[in-house]
Amino acid sequence: MLSRVVLSAAATAAPSLKNAAFLGPGVLQATRTFHTGQPHLVPVPPLPEYGGKVRYGLIPEEFFQFLYPKTGPYVLGTGLILYALSKEIYVISAETFTALSVLGVMVYGIKKYGPFVADFADKLNEQKLAQLEEAKQASIQHIQNAIDTEKSQQALVQKRHYLFDVQRNNIAMALEVTYRERLYRVYKEVKNRLDYHISVQNMMRRKEQEHMINWVEKHVVQSISTQQEKETIAKCIADLKLLAKKAQAQPVM
Amino acid sequence: MNENLFASFIAPTILGLPAAVLIILFPPLLIPTSKYLINNRLITTQQWLIKLTSKQMMTMHNTKGRTWSLMLVSLIIFIATTNLLGLLPYSFTPTTQLSMNLAMAIPLWASAVIMGFRSKIKNALAHFLPQGTPTPLIPMLVIIETISLLIQPMALAVRLTANITAGHLLMHLIGSATLAMSTINLPSTLIIFTILILLTILEIAVALIQAYVFTLLVSLYLHDNT
Repeated sequence: MLSRVVLSAAATAAPSLKNAAFLGPGVLQATRTFHTGQPHLVPVPPLPEYGGKVRYGLIPEEFFQFLYPKTGPYVLGTGLILYALSKEIYVISAETFTALSVLGVMVYGIKKYGPFVADFADKLNEQKLAQLEEAKQASIQHIQNAIDTEKSQQALVQKRHYLFDVQRNNIAMALEVTYRERLYRVYKEVKNRLDYHISVQNMMRRKEQEHMINWVEKHVVQSISTQQEKETIAKCIADLKLLAKKAQAQPVM
Repeated sequence: MNENLFASFIAPTILGLPAAVLIILFPPLLIPTSKYLINNRLITTQQWLIKLTSKQMMTMHNTKGRTWSLMLVSLIIFIATTNLLGLLPYSFTPTTQLSMNLAMAIPLWASAVIMGFRSKIKNALAHFLPQGTPTPLIPMLVIIETISLLIQPMALAVRLTANITAGHLLMHLIGSATLAMSTINLPSTLIIFTILILLTILEIAVALIQAYVFTLLVSLYLHDNT
């Protein structure tokens, strides 16, 4: 009935929903509203970690506590069992021995392997928790490493001025070196030009000297007349003959 | 006193209403679900066991076969829990009823075979003839393979029924033997009781093994046909 109301309301609201017969079941589900109550504003108390204590795996501890003021529960149990046996309410049959053997094997198994299975289950849970814990620790470690790197970077920034000083010194030295090189080159060029002028002067003087000597020689040779040449030659021959006479005499001795 | 040996196998009724439905629906109550990561020991061990069996069973199938994983895992858990619960005294085991086992075996086998015939006809038909048979033997061999295929669901159901029923019957018989000997000769009672204990251990093993065998064979038929 409610769904029909909702259908008609929907039909009036949106004319395209007039053919809404096929929406019937869906509408019924839509009228079932969920989350009607107020959401919890405080965290819901967690479930208890361990279940209630149980004796003999079947009977809760509260039963024993309930009975203790009035009667002993073991006495009550024994009495009930003996009553059932004696009045043949429970008949000892083949099934009894089967039950005895099955329950015996079960109790033996539980006593022997119970702690092992319990430890195994605990280990499984611990592994799950350890995995999550490891993920968390890895994340924390990662962030810690990032923090340390950042701090070391900041410390390095403080010492950056050393680097800048060294670079400044380097550049100053390089500038000095280039300046001295260029100075030296200038000096060499200037000396070159001056040497050139000096050598030109030297050469000119030598040439003038040679020219003068040649001129003087030429004129002296020209000034020797033929007459004087003949006289000089005759004198030389006479001198030579004298010398020859003097010379000849000596080797004979 | 139970009337006869087979009284424990009649389907129980409460005032004419079948209680077998309730009994069949009971085992899932023993396997709780949980939406938490860290659970109590029971749920942790059960989840670990189920994960182990499902991984072990479904690795040999391809993608199409793995769509059956929910079916097969729930099958093995159902048969195992029902068989184990049937070992308790005065309990009823649904898997002793051939009707239930047939209802489990026939649809599973039929769906596997029909799936095989629908998708890969040649492969499915090729199962009828093993490789390397001499030519004169072929007609006979095809007939034999067909019969062997058609008998698979029957074999599945009857195997499970017979094993569990036989086990229960044996326990009952030896129990009544101890009962009878307890009045006559006590030491022999102890011997027979020891036999009973050994038989109980065997029954526990058989309960688990039969579940495994059933599911394994169904998964084998599935593997052949996907």
